[in-house]
Amino acid sequence: MKIREFSADVLIIGGGLAGANAALGAADTGASVIVLEKSNIDRSGDIGGGVDHFMAYLNTNSSWDTEDSFLSYVEKIGRGTNHLGHIQSLYCAELPAAIERMARIGNPLTQPDGTFYRTQSMGQPGPLWINFNGKLLKPKLGKAVRKAGCKVFGRTMTADLLTRDGQVVGAMGYHIRTGSFFVFKAKATIISTGNTNRLYENPRLNPFNTWLCPYNTGDGQMMAFKAGAALTNMEYMRMTILPKGFAAPGFNALVGMGGRFMNSLGEYYMEGSHPLGNKAPRYTVVFNTLNEIRNGRGPVYVDCTHLPGEKMRHLQSTLGYDKDTLPDYFEQRGEDLANKPLEIMVSEGMQAGPTEVTGSGIKIDGEGASTVPGLYACGDSADHNRCVHGAITGGYKAGKSAAAYALKRRLGDSPSAALVQETVDRFVAPFYNNNGTPYRQIEDAIRKIMGEHVGPARTEMGLKAGLEKLAKLEIHMDDIKVDDRHDLMRVNETRNLLSVGKIMASSALFRTESRNKPYHHRLDFPETDDKNWCGLVVVKQRASAVDCSFERIIYHDK
Amino acid sequence: MPVTFDLDKCDGCGTCDSICPGDVIFMHRPKLVESPDGSGVMVKITEERLPFGSNLNKRAPYLPRPEECWHCGSCRQDCPTEAISIVFSPEMLCI
Repeated sequence: MKIREFSADVLIIGGGLAGANAALGAADTGASVIVLEKSNIDRSGDIGGGVDHFMAYLNTNSSWDTEDSFLSYVEKIGRGTNHLGHIQSLYCAELPAAIERMARIGNPLTQPDGTFYRTQSMGQPGPLWINFNGKLLKPKLGKAVRKAGCKVFGRTMTADLLTRDGQVVGAMGYHIRTGSFFVFKAKATIISTGNTNRLYENPRLNPFNTWLCPYNTGDGQMMAFKAGAALTNMEYMRMTILPKGFAAPGFNALVGMGGRFMNSLGEYYMEGSHPLGNKAPRYTVVFNTLNEIRNGRGPVYVDCTHLPGEKMRHLQSTLGYDKDTLPDYFEQRGEDLANKPLEIMVSEGMQAGPTEVTGSGIKIDGEGASTVPGLYACGDSADHNRCVHGAITGGYKAGKSAAAYALKRRLGDSPSAALVQETVDRFVAPFYNNNGTPYRQIEDAIRKIMGEHVGPARTEMGLKAGLEKLAKLEIHMDDIKVDDRHDLMRVNETRNLLSVGKIMASSALFRTESRNKPYHHRLDFPETDDKNWCGLVVVKQRASAVDCSFERIIYHDK
Repeated sequence: MPVTFDLDKCDGCGTCDSICPGDVIFMHRPKLVESPDGSGVMVKITEERLPFGSNLNKRAPYLPRPEECWHCGSCRQDCPTEAISIVFSPEMLCI
């Protein structure tokens, strides 16, 4: 098999919001850039179809609108999950340039009249969400990335990283339509493949009906892990609140405008249970909503019927910004926000950060560098980057850092033919299974195990049982059979889902306390123990096992 | 089908196939093959499951795995001939 080889200073794996900004950061620093993307950077990732919110402080005259106030908020909702210095470097220092860059590429965060429309929810000290129309953000970013001279390989799934002497030196790619393989040599590599979805049982039945992109399956985290990189915050299983039958985002928009959570007794259950009521942190709203449902007080709703006309008009006219198809869904289902409460549901679980400002995944420093030389990470696949604001700021920062690293180094030799062949053989093996299980059956089992044993209420015995079951299931991974190139991509995703699941369960078992419940809720250790557990569970691969250690975080309490 | 195509409006450009983030939309290109009746006549066939009544003179989009659609609406937003509608399945509308 003839395999073509390409090289660049910086290789970016994943062309979503973080990866596209990383590409711009690297190109602006003077590096040559290759972007690998499973689909098409114009519409890929969590915000491919659109987005409507960006978190920012704008240094107006309000006390809540400053960097200090923002970092206090980060500490308050994410204590023990992030180093504030990293957040300062990856987000705060990059924020003004990020807002300017979005305007420059043609998708400003402002309203048509030039003002910022700001709303408050999720424990924020003031209205830190900027509400904007980001329906064309991805196509505009894609155009900017190409214009900056970056070479984009679409429909190219990364088969594995290439390493030499403990450094990451590139990756191998697989074209999901032609079945061709490629070698990409690079001086620095950035992973920006998003969080892990399709990992937990889906309350809306179809595992692809997810809040975040169902094609993000932890591919980058698992590549990095195998290459020796540390991961953190993997014990947190993120959940959110979504419309009942369609996992479309909208929580920010509905609650930011003044929506009220209501149970089937007509009680507004968030009001009085938290000082911020409906605007409490996301994990608190999810925790209380789960309690309502467990106690038989479902179905649950978000009630917007009291909103004044102007707010309702803004809400209805902007609902499709975050999910283009949400207005169609409401129409086809017969929902009418102005006249009846909207039925909602807790989402599926996922591997993702424990707050809006803390990530989960590849451990990075304030430069976006992982613990492996030559490997960087950003966006939802990194532990100190999250959400739209994190991807745009931290992505660009990682791009600049990786480029600065790369420009000081020489390109290495090509990988050996034997290594290349081994990677290809491993990847295509499911094609040559004559009999076997479809990937979907194995995935369903992963989701069932994760939902029942590594979910929003955990115990030592349950987590150990979950790990045993995942290990048993792993034996059957080699039996998966696929018939076409598309499913070969999917089966690789299935492998990553199982690996992420094992790591999540191992981290959750290690952390014998609860934090940001229900994202990590140990029924056998129900309290948050800041004395012993204010910090990160660091996960590394050791002799193909998962090795956990603890990294304390020191806060300078004021 | 989560994504339905008005094949009278569709000009077969393939934008939807190209931008679909889940590799869910494929373009079908009809093939000319010899008629199976042995008459030697060349006929157009569909290799894949195209909607009934499709015009076989042009390329047309189809969804071999509709269950993998995320309903993101990117295809509809980018379709130059506005040939795409999003239709939610009964379980999404009724649970």
